[in-house]
Amino acid sequence: MQRKSITVFLTFAVSAVLSLQAFADTTPEDAKDYRAAIMTSLRGHIGAASMITRGLVENDGHLVSHAEGLAASAKELDRLFPAGSDVGESESLPLIWEEPEAFAAAIKKLQDATAEFVTAAKGGDAETIGAAFRNVGMSCRGCHDRYRESD
Amino acid sequence: MTATVNQTKLRCVVQAATLVAACSIASPVVSAADDLLERGRYLTYAGGCISCHTEDVEDAAPLAGGRALETPFGTFFSPNITPHRETGIGDWSEDGFLAALWQGISPEGEHYFPAFPYTSYTGVSRADGLAIRAYLLSLDPVSKVNREHDLSWYMSSRLAAGAWKAVNFEPRRFTPEAGRDEQWNRGAYLVRHLGHCGECHTPRGVTGVLDRGAEMAGGELGSEKIPNITPHASDGIGRWSTSDIEYFLDFGMLPGGDFAGSSMAEVIEDNTSKLTREDRLAIAAYLKSLPPLESAYD
Repeated sequence: MQRKSITVFLTFAVSAVLSLQAFADTTPEDAKDYRAAIMTSLRGHIGAASMITRGLVENDGHLVSHAEGLAASAKELDRLFPAGSDVGESESLPLIWEEPEAFAAAIKKLQDATAEFVTAAKGGDAETIGAAFRNVGMSCRGCHDRYRESD
Repeated sequence: MTATVNQTKLRCVVQAATLVAACSIASPVVSAADDLLERGRYLTYAGGCISCHTEDVEDAAPLAGGRALETPFGTFFSPNITPHRETGIGDWSEDGFLAALWQGISPEGEHYFPAFPYTSYTGVSRADGLAIRAYLLSLDPVSKVNREHDLSWYMSSRLAAGAWKAVNFEPRRFTPEAGRDEQWNRGAYLVRHLGHCGECHTPRGVTGVLDRGAEMAGGELGSEKIPNITPHASDGIGRWSTSDIEYFLDFGMLPGGDFAGSSMAEVIEDNTSKLTREDRLAIAAYLKSLPPLESAYD
């Protein structure tokens, strides 16, 4: 457990340092593509977690990994929307930069929901897991409804 | 946000309904009335009343009307259905309410435009209709005068609504289909009637009448294309599992984990997420039983 925490910490520390360097010459396109990549990872973990939550796939301890993946990506959201990254095929709506506080609050909601989902997944109670997963979904949707271009 | 039931009023409704004299009435009666109101509340959400009859502005009074519905025939504004006696439905009798729901006729005998989906609600059961009425009447009355519709000249008369109705509408309650199980029939009732999914998801002909032969093959709402939700593999939701549909209706997750915004987001928020899991599964079972059709639009 201890070792795992250290590993997680180091991973974050190293990626934080790398990202600082990378951002020095990050173009708006890069920022947008990186954002899309993180969103894809969120979607992948959500999709996988939903299948385990529904009992379509054996858990075998993997629900915790997906929950942690979600929580880790959610933590990155704060830095994924630099001003000016609304370029190309971006689905981000201008409202993101027009109401930064409300947007930050929406991100915080996901971060809290994913943290709770990690706790629930570790706890193993099906009902708690289901409710926590639903909360994650609701916070994804809450943000997308307001800040993402609809189809 | 959500409408709250005034408990005192609730007691009075109980009294009126049961002719019980004292306010401290026997608990079984209260609980029967509570059940009725709780069921009415559930049906008010399931039927989408709450969405269309609440104005689309912050702090809007629930069910006091004023929401704009844009159609090719003009803009309709939903009326106040709180129990206010002058501006709402406070004076409506049971029969008056059911006539509106089932036949699209106001207590004054005027024809409603089918923007009010009585063509779907006509299948709603008497018990459900009256439970909705009981719930609406238990709410606080809101004084808000209805806004006039803003319609094309050829639709600007209620006579047009009457003529349309004479050609295109036949009032009829839902009857369970023999040979189908209870879940399917519940789903059919919710999708076709109470939930009136077809009002958006089924294409319309030039006169605005739903093309029942292309049920759920996709429609248009203003400039928005409404998806085909028949089990067609590429055009519809044929690749969705029952639990995919259930999850989507519960909190909007698409198969694969995405969350796309659309006008359905509000339907999920106000209606389908409020349903029981059994009802969502019934909807899924019904949708999966439909013939797979190609999309009605390009």
